[in-house]
Parts: sequence; C-alpha cells; structure tokens
Amino acid sequence: MTLEKGYVMRPGENGFERAVGILEMVYKFAENVSDEAVEGAANFVFPELKNTVLGLLELPANRDLEIFFFQRLLELFWEAQRAQSEGKKLIFIPFTFPPELFWAFDSLFPLCTEIVSGAIVNICYGQGERFWDYAVSLGLPDSLCSGNTIGIASLLAGPGLKPDAIVYNTPGSCNPNAKIHAFAADYLGVPQFILEKPVDESPRGREQYYKYLLRFVRELEEWTGEELREERLREVMQRAYRAVDLYNEYWELKKARPCPVPNIFSMTLLVLRSQMWGREECVEVLQRMVDISKERLRKGEYTAPEEVARIYISYIYWLFDFYNYFTWMEKKGISILGDILAIHYFPPIDYSSKESMLRAYADIAFDYPMTRQMGGESISLRWVDDICYAAQDLGADACVFGGVHACKHTLGTISFFRRELMKRLGIPTLVLIGDVFDKRQTPMEIFQREVETFVDQVVSRKKAGRRRK
Amino acid sequence: MMMAVSGTALEICEVYDPYVREWKEGGGRVVGYSCVATPVELIEAAGLLPYRIKALGNPRTDLADGEMSLFNCSFCRSCLQLALDGTYDFLDGLIETNGCDHLRAMFENWQHNKNLPFFHYLKVPHFFRDDSLEYFRRELELLRKHLASHFDAPVEDDALKRAIEDWNLVRERWRELCSLRELPEPRVTGSEALALELAGSRMRGQDFAELLSSFIEERKKAPGKKPRARLMLCGPATDEVAWMEEMESLGAVVVADALCFGSRAFLHRPGTGGDPLEELAEGYLTSIFCPRMYKEYDKRRSYIMETAKRAGVDGAVYLYNKFCDLHGTDSVLVRRDLENSGIPVLVLEKEYSAAADLGRIKTRVQAFLERIGGGV
Repeated sequence: MTLEKGYVMRPGENGFERAVGILEMVYKFAENVSDEAVEGAANFVFPELKNTVLGLLELPANRDLEIFFFQRLLELFWEAQRAQSEGKKLIFIPFTFPPELFWAFDSLFPLCTEIVSGAIVNICYGQGERFWDYAVSLGLPDSLCSGNTIGIASLLAGPGLKPDAIVYNTPGSCNPNAKIHAFAADYLGVPQFILEKPVDESPRGREQYYKYLLRFVRELEEWTGEELREERLREVMQRAYRAVDLYNEYWELKKARPCPVPNIFSMTLLVLRSQMWGREECVEVLQRMVDISKERLRKGEYTAPEEVARIYISYIYWLFDFYNYFTWMEKKGISILGDILAIHYFPPIDYSSKESMLRAYADIAFDYPMTRQMGGESISLRWVDDICYAAQDLGADACVFGGVHACKHTLGTISFFRRELMKRLGIPTLVLIGDVFDKRQTPMEIFQREVETFVDQVVSRKKAGRRRK
Repeated sequence: MMMAVSGTALEICEVYDPYVREWKEGGGRVVGYSCVATPVELIEAAGLLPYRIKALGNPRTDLADGEMSLFNCSFCRSCLQLALDGTYDFLDGLIETNGCDHLRAMFENWQHNKNLPFFHYLKVPHFFRDDSLEYFRRELELLRKHLASHFDAPVEDDALKRAIEDWNLVRERWRELCSLRELPEPRVTGSEALALELAGSRMRGQDFAELLSSFIEERKKAPGKKPRARLMLCGPATDEVAWMEEMESLGAVVVADALCFGSRAFLHRPGTGGDPLEELAEGYLTSIFCPRMYKEYDKRRSYIMETAKRAGVDGAVYLYNKFCDLHGTDSVLVRRDLENSGIPVLVLEKEYSAAADLGRIKTRVQAFLERIGGGV
C-alpha cells in the first residue's frame, strides 16, 4: 500500500499505531486545563482532530474526565501493542460482544474492532477514509459497515498490528458485522471463533445460546491452552458488576431535568462498555462520570440557557465529529439521553460457581445491545419495545434515527418503527440516513440542519402545545 | 412476467399462474417460503403446496419503498411489493427464515401489513455442528406441529418419507439436467434451467420431477451447439430469466451455476432410511451453500471450484444485487480463488430488474467474453 503524502505514517505503522502515536498528546495536558490551553491545542492540530479535541475538551464539565479517560484508553492500547510480545494472543472482537469474558483469560487480549476504527477516524488525518477506500478497492461492497470495515481494512492494508484470531457473534443479527469479521479471518488465514445467538427468545433459545457459549469457551480454552479459571472469572465479573451499579446510577441521573449528564459521556460509555468492561479503569472512569453528573445536578448546571429538547437516539450515534454532534447539541439545549447501545440488561449474578457466572454472562450477551434487538425474533418489535422503554423512562420528547447505510435490518423496518413509536408514546422520530464513521455519506452540516429544523418545528411546537393545554 | 421453457408444457409462468390457480380452485392451500433451507417436504407432507417467493422480474417497488429503505435489496423490495399490492393474496401462510437482514425485514413488513393467518418462523442455524443440528431438528419438529395444528393436517412419517423420495427424485433429475448443460455442446441453456427451477419452485415434487424428466428426454434427442464461451454464474436468489437470456444472447452459455434459484437449491440430499425429521435436518443443514453460513467458506469454494472444473468453464460471473453484503463479501474470496486457479471472473453488482442496468451489464459481459477469448 502506498502511503500518500500528508498521512504521516511511519514505516511499520498502520492506522492503529498512528492513532496511538497521536493520542499520546493526552499526556501533554497539565492538570486543570484552561480554556486557553484547549484553544491552543485545537488550533495546533489538523482540522479533523481539532473537532475531536474541541468535542472532548471545550466544555469545562467534560474536560478532566475525558483527559483521564483517554489516558486510560491509551494505556490499554499500549497493552494491546505489547500483548503478543508478552505471550498473549491478540483477538479482535466486535462491539456487540461483552468483553469481560475475554479479560478473564490471562492469555488473551481483546481489542474491539469498532474502537480501533473509531480511534483511526477521530484521531488520524483523513479520518480513516483511506482504509474504507482500500476495502472497496479489494472488491468489498460499499454497503458494508464503516464501523468495523475501517478497522479491519487497516489490518489488511499493510504493516502493524495483526490479530491471532477473530471473534464474532452477529451471524443472524447483523450480516455486515459478522461477514467482515469472517472475511478478515479467511483473508488473513487466522482462526475464527463464533458465538451465534439463535433468533429465538424462548427458553429453548436461551438454553441453546448458553450451550453455544460453553462450546465457545471450550474452543478458546483449547486454542489458548488456558482453562478459564473460576477465581479469575469471579474477579472480572465482580468488577464488571461494580460498573453495572454505576451504570444504573448513570441511567437514573439521565432522568433529571435538565439532564445533568454531558452529551459526550454517551460516547464515553459506549467505549467503556465495548472495550474496558471488567477492568478497573472502567470502574474508575464511570465513577467520575457519575460524580461529575451528580455535582452538576446538585448545582443545577446545564450548558445551554434552557433544555430545549430531550432526544433519544433510536439507533446509534454518528461518531466522526464529536464537536459538531455532541457538543453542538449540548450548546443548543438538546440533551442526548442515549442510543440503542446504551440500553443494557444486567441479570442478577450468582458468583458461587463458574457455571452460575457463565449463565449470567450468557444472559448479558443474549440481551446485549443490537444482539437483543436485531437478533430478536422480530427486529422491529423488539427494537420498538426497547426504545419505548428507554424513551419513556428517561422522558424523551422525540427520537432521532441516525440511520447507518450498512444497517439493513433497521433500515428495513424503520417505517414501522416510526409509526409504532408515535402510536405508543406520541413521540415523533426524525429519520436521517448517513454513516457512523464516514462523513462522506451525510456531512454533519446536514445532520445539524435537519435536527435544528426538527427541534424548532416539531419538538418545540409540540411542547408549547402541551403547555397551552 | 413471462418466461418460456421451449418444448415443454410450461409456456407461461406468473406469480399466480395456472398451476397454482388450479391447485387453489381444487381446494388446495398454499404456503410461501423464501429460503432453500426450508424443507419443502414438510409442507408437502402436510398436503400443502410449497411456493417459493419470487418476483419474476417485477420492477416496481413503490409500495415496498414505503416500508423498507432504498438501501435494502431490490429483490426483497420487489417481492414485498407483490405482497402489498395483493398479488400474493392467494397464500394461506408464510414461513420466514433468518436468511439475511433484508429477508428478515421483508418478512416482518409482510407480516405487519398483511396479517397472514399462518406465519411461522423457522430458525436456521448459521453453521453446521452437532449442537446446531440438534437445534434445527427440533425447529423442524415445531414446524411440523404448527403446520399440523393450523391446517388440521397431521404430517405422518409415511407421508414425509414419500415427499422426501419425491424431492430426492427431483434432485436426481436436476443433476441429469446439469450434465446436459455441461456437455461440450450443451443441450440446455442457463436461462432454460432457471425457468425450470422457477416453475418447479411452485410445484409438488412429483409434478416437478415429471416436468424435468420430459424436458430431459426431449433435450437428449436434440442437437447441441458449441457456445462462444462457457460460463458459470454464481450468486444469490436471481429469478430474472430475461436477464440471463440477454447474457446468453451474446453467444455465451451458462453451463453451470451456483445460484440460490438454481443448482444450490438442489444440493440437499436427505436420506430415507432413518427418522425422516433427522434425515431432513441433516440433509438440509449440511447443504446450505450460501454465504449466510459461517466458517464454511472452504466448503463453498470446493463446490464452486469442482463445478467449474467439471463443466469446463471459460470464465465465471459472480452476480449480486446491490446491498447484498453476504454475497458481495464472498465474491472477493471467490474471485481470488477462481482466478488463482486460472478461471477469470467478472463480478457484477446490479439492481434487481432495473432496465437501466441492462445495457451497462451487457457491455461488461461483452467485454468479459472478449477478454476470456470468446470474442467474435
């Protein structure tokens, strides 16, 4: 692969390595970063990174947390880079797979494909477009998901990090996700491990899933030569459940009006859940997120003069421009209450045995975001049920469906979803189609224009109408 | 929506065609299905007519576009259109399978909008293993019970065994048909084979076997013709006979295929000796040569390579509808492997039944034929 001028890749590096190299700047910030320092940093870097810096740091409430969080993420990336030389097997996992299971193996290091993509897109010059283009140049369809394809294509494209195996769990719930992971394994000639969720919500379906999970664990054990130890699993699951307690607090805080939780924390939670759950850093970051939000609630702090709208993102966030998405909405008085990936179901856990913990893990994974809805017996009904629950519980005024062109399951059922949501809760949905990581699909300017019009013309008028009655 | 298989009794095929109409008028009931992982034997053993959902080149999707997005497969939208406009109202029931994301969305919209009296979701695992086989066997048991209770038509083992035998005969005849396609001077074209498959996918097994037999007998006597190029066609559910005719009008003959509406629909070989449900489960789950099956790319590759070599193809065309991630992704590996073994490949991504696409595609096929030495 020829490196184009301006991409500043160094020999032996690829997208991931470059992102890690640039991310090291998070250690350059002093404590209590000032507005001037943020402005200086934003003007020092290239334009795409500028919006990442501003999205994370411009609003004072986010600043310390995001620096702390990205320092922890960077340390985790360093660990990933060292993993193979330290005798561990590096595996790529999709964001639909709860990572805590893998942390319980001493000999495995899981790296989430979509987090790699996200790092490349939000940190590197060119926002990963070169990797997307590279994938398409191999002949892969341009209707695949940039969320995983950018990370995967960086693996295929050239030097740098290479996984020892690929793991995935979305056959039947998300074709593009499962297929690109399977493709990478076939293309690279590395082992692939699958956990399929039957589209069967009966007790038989859950039991089958549990059987598949046991088989999956056994295959990993055979491959690594390491038995999943009960004690180690308990340690990880206990940490995971400390995070669960904090997640529950975080959810409750979102209910307050105005919402005291900064919008950007939605992204932070997503990364924590996809990559760090089960590790101590995850608990530390979540604890700080909760503390900051509580403090804001206590002081009545809110970024905009008033909370104009409480929006539930009925699918997933667009994550290629933090500043013009999260920060922009926050400044406009639009609180983001969550997305489909923020809805988790954690069953009570019994730590007494390996089996009881794996039972709990199976339930977590069965009901994991997207696996639960898009892998449900009915995509549309499970999806609308869950969004209705979240939107009602958190007091949403409206939903925004930021569709992703790769996600054929939701795009194929969105009309029903929108009608049904209106029927059940009287909540309007703005439907937009774009992409999670590729700004070329629908630029953020269009997103902003549509959301602004929707909020002004539909949500605000509806609220005013309610007040008049 | 017309197609012809010359020299047979079958001249016209439309969605609700005379064969199905006659069946309905005789008091018969029809159950639709879409995926080749659906054991038609079970439907037939319940005294019902299995009908594979198709669009037969229907280009309209305006009603379906109100439900699904333009990022969804145009074949699925075209089928949904025919459901929404009432064309498929003759169905007495529908069996959904989790074939792909588009298909699932199509079925859900169908169900939400038409509220069929019988709707069954047959859950097909995405890999073959002892544990997935056991699950699938139980799925077939549930389907059998649901069919029996809803249609008041118990599915007895004997009836099921007879249906398996009938459909195994169809598969045997299909292989004979393929051998006529693979001759140095093929006696059957690809478009004729596709038309036969479409006709058969709304018939009882016994009738289909008879249709195939008479067609084969007739063609055995007919002279063949050396084609300009021998092609293999790979891809998903393509039921556009006219499209294939256009491709063959350039002088090539599709002498082999790995299509979902095609040879891939005839690879199941349930045994007849043991428990019929077990035989069906194993026969079907081991023979789904679709990219929706995971960790089975090697199996698909072997099948495609062996078929291509046996048929002596000059090149292969891998065709899929826009937004089909499963076939689109597999096409990269198939092209790599076929080309590594010396078989040139043309990958075509197209919209279903889009007349505007035809000229572009013919130009590409023409250029491909010239590239592989089939130029005139």
